[in-house]
Amino acid sequence: MRPLLRWIAPALVLAAGLALLVTGQLVRNGADTADRALTDRAATARVTEEVGSALGRAFSYSATDSEGTRTAARAVFTGAAGEQYRALTEQLRGWVGEQQLTLTSRVVATGVVRLDADRAELLVLLDQSARRPDGTPTLTAAQLLVGARLEAGHWLVTDLKSL
Amino acid sequence: MTVRAMRERLPVLAVCLVLLAAGAAVWGGWSWYAAAHDGAADLARSRDRALAAGEQAVQNLNTLDHAALAPGLDLWEQSTTGDLHSQLVQGRAEFEKQVKQAQSVTTARVLDGAVTELDQAAGQAAVLIAVRITVRTGQEQPVTKDSRMLGRLTRTGEGWKLSALGQAPMGTTASTAPSAGQ
Repeated sequence: MRPLLRWIAPALVLAAGLALLVTGQLVRNGADTADRALTDRAATARVTEEVGSALGRAFSYSATDSEGTRTAARAVFTGAAGEQYRALTEQLRGWVGEQQLTLTSRVVATGVVRLDADRAELLVLLDQSARRPDGTPTLTAAQLLVGARLEAGHWLVTDLKSL
Repeated sequence: MTVRAMRERLPVLAVCLVLLAAGAAVWGGWSWYAAAHDGAADLARSRDRALAAGEQAVQNLNTLDHAALAPGLDLWEQSTTGDLHSQLVQGRAEFEKQVKQAQSVTTARVLDGAVTELDQAAGQAAVLIAVRITVRTGQEQPVTKDSRMLGRLTRTGEGWKLSALGQAPMGTTASTAPSAGQ
């Protein structure tokens, strides 16, 4: 009986271990824990704030802006978004200068669609107002799907898509 | 291998098996404990369910065919709870009359959405959803409009349901930070 017991005991422990492992996986099943949107509140708040305020600044434009303001606004874009932003500001420069327009963008709401350790996707609602020196502002609404990447401790905008 | 040689190796095998079993037990036990006590997994699941329910409900509430009013409005009522549900129930007769008169067919497509607030303990969540709404009236050209909706969800016995829905306001200040609380 003793030799038999010697085999059964470890086999039982092994089986119990495997059972617990499977149960653990089942409990976790269906939860996308890689996505930290809202499960990591601090990181969610931070990416929301950083990307939101960067976009608000970047999409506010005035003929009287200093070169420093423009450079700072440009610095948050990288990759495809950098190209997009450059093309957009080229267009705006002529237009804003001619009509003495001031464009102001304000973030109305931001939702984090997905958040990993160093990547994020956000849905950002912007109100954009265009004002001439003597006129009343015209308001338009924009919905942006924004891709962002954490680089050297700062969130940079990598993709911009207007919905 | 002789029987004698095998008998001599058995203890070594037994020790290996015991170590393996102990390892599996520790790993399994730890994995089970971590999963059972993983608040983040729970929260992640709630978040994903709330978003799925919110997107479906926003789509439902922006879809209505004048030729199939009853099932359409039934679905509206099923997708909602609380104040929003009561409003829909109260306004149903009047609304039916209007849609029949207008002969309109409204369809919606959710462009994207995100959960902005989640209070697991209270069973409350807020969502932000961009939706494209198309309205066809009679023989006229369909009119398409993009809408940005802010919705509040409440967890019920039948899952998350919309308890408030409105368009994100233009030209006013709105809070965007996720609210406190679990």
